[in-house]
Amino acid sequence: MQKDLEINNMIEIQDLKKGYYGVNVVNIPQLSIKKGESIGLVGNNGAGKTTLFRMMLDLIRPDAGEVLSHEKNVASNEEWKEYTASYLDEGFLIDYLTPEEYFHFIGGLHNKNKAQIDTELENFSDFFNSEILDRGKYIRDLSKGNQTKVGVAACLIQNPQLLMLDEPFANIDPSTQIRLKNLIKDLNKEKQITCLISSHDLNHVTEVCDRILLMEKGKIIKDIATNSNTLQELEEYFSVLS
Amino acid sequence: MTLTFLNHQIKAFWRSKNTGKSIAMRIFMAILIIYLLLNVLVVAFFMDTILEKTFPNQDSIQTFNSFIIYYFLLDLLWRFQLQELPTLAVRPYLHLRLKKNQIINYLSITSLGSTFNITPLLLSMPFLIKVLIPTHGFLVFGAYVLSILGLTLTNHFFSMWIKRKVNLNAIWMLVFLGTLLLFVLLDFQFKLFSISALSAQIFGQLLSIPSISLIFLVLAVLIFLMNFRYLKSNLYLEELSKASVSHKSSTEIPYLGRFGLSGDLAANELKLILRNKRPRSVIMTSILFMFYGLIFYNRPDLSDYPILFCGMFMTGIFIINYGQFMFSWQSAHFDGILVSKVSIREFFKAKFLLFTLFSSITFLLTTPYVYFGWRVLLIHFVMLIWNLGVNTVLVLFFANQNYKRIDLSKGSAFNWEGVGASQWILSLPLLITPFIVYFPFSYMDYPDAGIAFIGITGLLFIISREFWLNLLIKQFQNKRFTIAEGFRNK
Repeated sequence: MQKDLEINNMIEIQDLKKGYYGVNVVNIPQLSIKKGESIGLVGNNGAGKTTLFRMMLDLIRPDAGEVLSHEKNVASNEEWKEYTASYLDEGFLIDYLTPEEYFHFIGGLHNKNKAQIDTELENFSDFFNSEILDRGKYIRDLSKGNQTKVGVAACLIQNPQLLMLDEPFANIDPSTQIRLKNLIKDLNKEKQITCLISSHDLNHVTEVCDRILLMEKGKIIKDIATNSNTLQELEEYFSVLS
Repeated sequence: MTLTFLNHQIKAFWRSKNTGKSIAMRIFMAILIIYLLLNVLVVAFFMDTILEKTFPNQDSIQTFNSFIIYYFLLDLLWRFQLQELPTLAVRPYLHLRLKKNQIINYLSITSLGSTFNITPLLLSMPFLIKVLIPTHGFLVFGAYVLSILGLTLTNHFFSMWIKRKVNLNAIWMLVFLGTLLLFVLLDFQFKLFSISALSAQIFGQLLSIPSISLIFLVLAVLIFLMNFRYLKSNLYLEELSKASVSHKSSTEIPYLGRFGLSGDLAANELKLILRNKRPRSVIMTSILFMFYGLIFYNRPDLSDYPILFCGMFMTGIFIINYGQFMFSWQSAHFDGILVSKVSIREFFKAKFLLFTLFSSITFLLTTPYVYFGWRVLLIHFVMLIWNLGVNTVLVLFFANQNYKRIDLSKGSAFNWEGVGASQWILSLPLLITPFIVYFPFSYMDYPDAGIAFIGITGLLFIISREFWLNLLIKQFQNKRFTIAEGFRNK
């Protein structure tokens, strides 16, 4: 019984609350994310998406409640780091390293040697579009879109079971957007990786994700299993607001 | 137009993040700057007495003359290292309806507002007024002021020009410093070739022929025009800011690989230091601190206190100078560290490794001080142990209280970003504790026992490091959210 639960639920959130200056930024009574689900998180600016991500990654202390990853509170142990890969913003990159150095470092954390990483990076040659490797630049000298590519690739070489990306489609060119969508879909379908992706692009999320969470003022107000009407439903919601 | 530019410049200064938002910080800054200028003024005011005391059988004006070239060579070295190039300031103006000449004038004029340009006059004026006017009159005085002004401007525009033209890295600086030291040695130690005599001769001419000063003014104008022409033909930002031009390659630091994950982390931090401007200039100042002992040791009645003090500074300069902003250096990717598989223990161990590495290097650099006696070397070594044992823990303890983000790409001179209460509170125990340990022994006339006790305390801290490490980790676990949030505030 215990084991079944472990297999089924990747993330379990209970009574999670965070407020700044008396305003509730995140307020989620209950949310569970099953293993292998791919979840799209949408909502306008200030809806609490990034704050939610940060609490799930133990970067912000919740005012109340907890985030359980594999049934263990992320704030009180570090096991989740073994199987969780995430990229929220450039703050996750060590910007004075070259991309190669950074990949080797991240790979080393997961006990992969340089040769292994180099072979794995060959799979990304399309995704990188020869703009990342051997360019003789530090990460800080790359454009924002290329930094995103570095961040996403660094996530994937960690072979995660849980992948969290905050607005990965922003700043990258259309070709890479399409490649990234396919990449995420494949990872999710073939390797059963649980994906959690936030985006402002409704087309992208509805295409990639099986389940959409719509946030407004810190609350999840809609929890939709994606179907052919989802895009329309979301568009209606956002156009009413504006 | 220039006035509008200046107006913008003033706004840029007061509204910049570096200036510090709190009024307390501004007041403190003002006091510090006034204090530094007062120091200069005090030295300047007593310059005649100082010169007479150090070179008793020489005319003080001649002594003054003999040091002018040295002063300006040193000034040039400092400028190379610290002077900022206000290149990006013109970015918002380039596409507007403004003549290139106006923009270049703006660049040239705004760059003049630097302490480098005030100091020479401030330093020489009181001396000139006190000594030169009574003996040689106003005309010669005017000639001196003009010459010094001319040389200051020459240095100013020359350093602007060369810094834009050539990417002066640390190696160039060391070569320059080495050549300068060689000249000093040749001059005063071996008496083969004397810059001071040359200097005395050139400026001695001013006393009889004041119009020579015009040469220096002409020189300044020539250098200004050279700089002007260079800027005019190269007014492209990507060419002027040299930073990203050279090819960056991946490097490995093999020695650190032996220490496992914490070695990798230390190697990363070493790259952080070498590849970013602000930590790099911290290292440069640390190297300059290696000469600190020369100020105090060169006297016959040398007691233990200055050796303890200098020993702590010289062997621990990295721990003190770099360590005071610990974690802030990594503020830009602190979130990345927290979510990565790096355990906090390894994170802290890497810091200890880095401290040990740098302190050992600085200790080795101070070994020539054995010239002043074996006791000096011994005390330096004891202070190295103290630094590694006690000060590392102290610095990391305060690092846990430090939530201020810093931008690595800015220079460190007069840069207040990241400075907060914790730095000031940190300096107290750092400076006082070794003396508290030593004083009772010295008071009871057992200085050797005092020094031994400092060493033993340091050693005990090193042996019990695991214990302190656990305390630091516990504290870090409590504070990490606050630290991470502070670092996210740009």
